[in-house]
Amino acid sequence: MSDLYLSRIRNWFLSSPPAEWAINRLRETLIGSLSQGPIPGHVAFEMDGNRRYARSHKIETVEGHHLGFEALARVLEICYKCGVKVVTVYAFSLENFHRPKYEVDGLMQLAKVKLEQLIQHGELLDRYGASVRVLGRLDLIPPDVLEVVERAVAATSHNTTCVLNICFPYTSREEMTTAIRTTVEEYSTTPRPHSTPFSQSRITQKILSKQGDKPETLESIEEGPSQSDDHDHDHDHDHDQDDAVSTATTLHSDPSTQKSEGSENVAIYPNAETITPETIDKHLYTAGCPPLDIFVRTSGVERLSDFMLWQSHQDTHIFFLKCFWPEFDLWHFLPVLVEWQHRQKQKQREEKPSRVKQA
Amino acid sequence: METNFSKGDARLGEEPRFRKPPQNQTPTDFSSAEDKLLYAMPFSAKDLQRYRKDEKFSHRLLTPEERINLLKPYLPSPPPRDSARRTSLSQVSREERKGKLGLRRFLRRHFHIFIYALIHLYFSIYVRLRQAYHAIGNRFYTVYHHHHHSPELIQRDIKDLSRLPKHLSVILTLEDQGRSGAGLEKLVNEAADIAAWCASAGITQLSIYEKTGILKGYVKETHQTISQRLQTYFGPSFPSVSLGAPHIPPIQSGILPLSNSPNNENRKNINILLVSAEDGRDSIVDLTKTLAEMSQRKKLQPADITTELVDAELSESVMEEPDLLVLFSPYVELAGYPPWQIRLTEIFHVPDNQGVGYQVFYRALCKFAKAQMRMGR
Repeated sequence: MSDLYLSRIRNWFLSSPPAEWAINRLRETLIGSLSQGPIPGHVAFEMDGNRRYARSHKIETVEGHHLGFEALARVLEICYKCGVKVVTVYAFSLENFHRPKYEVDGLMQLAKVKLEQLIQHGELLDRYGASVRVLGRLDLIPPDVLEVVERAVAATSHNTTCVLNICFPYTSREEMTTAIRTTVEEYSTTPRPHSTPFSQSRITQKILSKQGDKPETLESIEEGPSQSDDHDHDHDHDHDQDDAVSTATTLHSDPSTQKSEGSENVAIYPNAETITPETIDKHLYTAGCPPLDIFVRTSGVERLSDFMLWQSHQDTHIFFLKCFWPEFDLWHFLPVLVEWQHRQKQKQREEKPSRVKQA
Repeated sequence: METNFSKGDARLGEEPRFRKPPQNQTPTDFSSAEDKLLYAMPFSAKDLQRYRKDEKFSHRLLTPEERINLLKPYLPSPPPRDSARRTSLSQVSREERKGKLGLRRFLRRHFHIFIYALIHLYFSIYVRLRQAYHAIGNRFYTVYHHHHHSPELIQRDIKDLSRLPKHLSVILTLEDQGRSGAGLEKLVNEAADIAAWCASAGITQLSIYEKTGILKGYVKETHQTISQRLQTYFGPSFPSVSLGAPHIPPIQSGILPLSNSPNNENRKNINILLVSAEDGRDSIVDLTKTLAEMSQRKKLQPADITTELVDAELSESVMEEPDLLVLFSPYVELAGYPPWQIRLTEIFHVPDNQGVGYQVFYRALCKFAKAQMRMGR
């Protein structure tokens, strides 16, 4: 009983205007202060625990997702005010399609309504200079939602200060597979070797056909009177072949295509050996984003669960928090940020002496 | 609510729908959560209530303009008090409003720097205290759960666990790279200890990740050390070890004297895999190269590349997805661990832990037994 009164009184006090004013001042001061230190360029959030939060508070799961959206709005505000460039959130996994249909529909509707509002209040994101991108299997989104998604992306694409990546039907393995596939596609489509209007194969063919047809009637080249025509042609031919071989060897290590140099379509592919991790990086959905600095997962589950595997497996600092996502706020994010800053400073301190030693 | 209704001007035609909230959302079941969250918001309680009411009626209560008005006080740009804290974002607008506000902004900035320094001062004290606290806790665990080189004790520890990982993975770090001899020796010893604990616990598949891959150059020596360590734990009938690495054929235990003895079935064996950073990104890049060459020779269509194909290839040539990954570092950083394989792996670490210890291993197994898998469902 007294607990109830206490929480009532506390709520009444905390929602009273002076207390609210003070808390907001405090928030702003803290955010402003933290942005004086090193700031992560890219933060990823795995918004886990909406359903468990809903269950523990005896509300509908869809309501839990709505509260989760509010938490997302709060977090985005904090991040962008601090100066974080890219925020990536895991909104919907490919695995989530296995959930009950009404919940999937509810989530889709939630996304649709929120994105529609975002379009209506275009200036809201403009003030932060934020653009929205949706990463994942867009072809699996229902058409009515997809249409809104595309409009929202188009409406904010002119903003360049910061980015909100929404991973919509996404899994990291799918992302990596797609990156591999598009890389393979890029390396197995023949780019025109040179952009000259002259085709080497056509020239070769013309010469060959002339040689094969009637080698005696080669007086078409009239400006070579001193040299014998045959010699001239042999020389020409050799030169052409040399060219083709050299381009083939430099661009492509596969001997099978070299054999087919006489045929009409000399396929000259980029050398597959030039593929590097950066090539894959460029084909990921997160291409162009700064490296991931902080990965936050809420609700106490200590797994990556198919999110940002490629991006987070190197020197990303991964934080597993106990709180459910709808509860997530500045007071949870603050320790994460401060700890990250602390580690960054420590790292710098450790690197400095070694640099001095090297010098 | 009534006042909002009268304001909902342009949507009078839809008015009947206002009164019928969506079926599964009754206002009462929402209030408990609402109460708890109210104070956590940057918005004032009144505005938040208006927003939520609007949301409950599927956003038909407020017009877009009203919603913007609702949000306006919280938006960052025009009010001058906001500009200073967005130093990096609104440089243009800062330039415009110099003069009278310059001093204020200057003071505010220095105030922020002061608070920042203060936060970090307190935080570093806090971190020290936390580290000390955790160190004491870890020490306690170390003493309390010591294996005493005895498989029986380890088996007794894990007897009550509901499940064990089939495939356990650990991340080790090579220290002082200057004197690689000492670092390497420590690494080999750690690997041998972990192998012995796994063998005692009955975990048959162990993968040891070390970023530089130095252990791969000493497979034979490592194998010998592990065998010796197992012998000190188990006595003469120690489990057989198979130690390998991706693309390196495994070395089987050389000593198999008890092949026809009656307790051969009780004899466990343990497969150990040495993994390094080159088995992570680089193996995926190598796979891409192979696939690109195949595609260039028209042996494969890019559309044939599916998650299943990539998964099969990577599990075959590198390793399967481990069930549990144990970190001995003070915080979670994967240091280049193979990204494809870490999808659903439970990641365990002890905050502020330093070094390899049996208590970390034991606590990881306990945590794993309690964790429930949900697979996104």
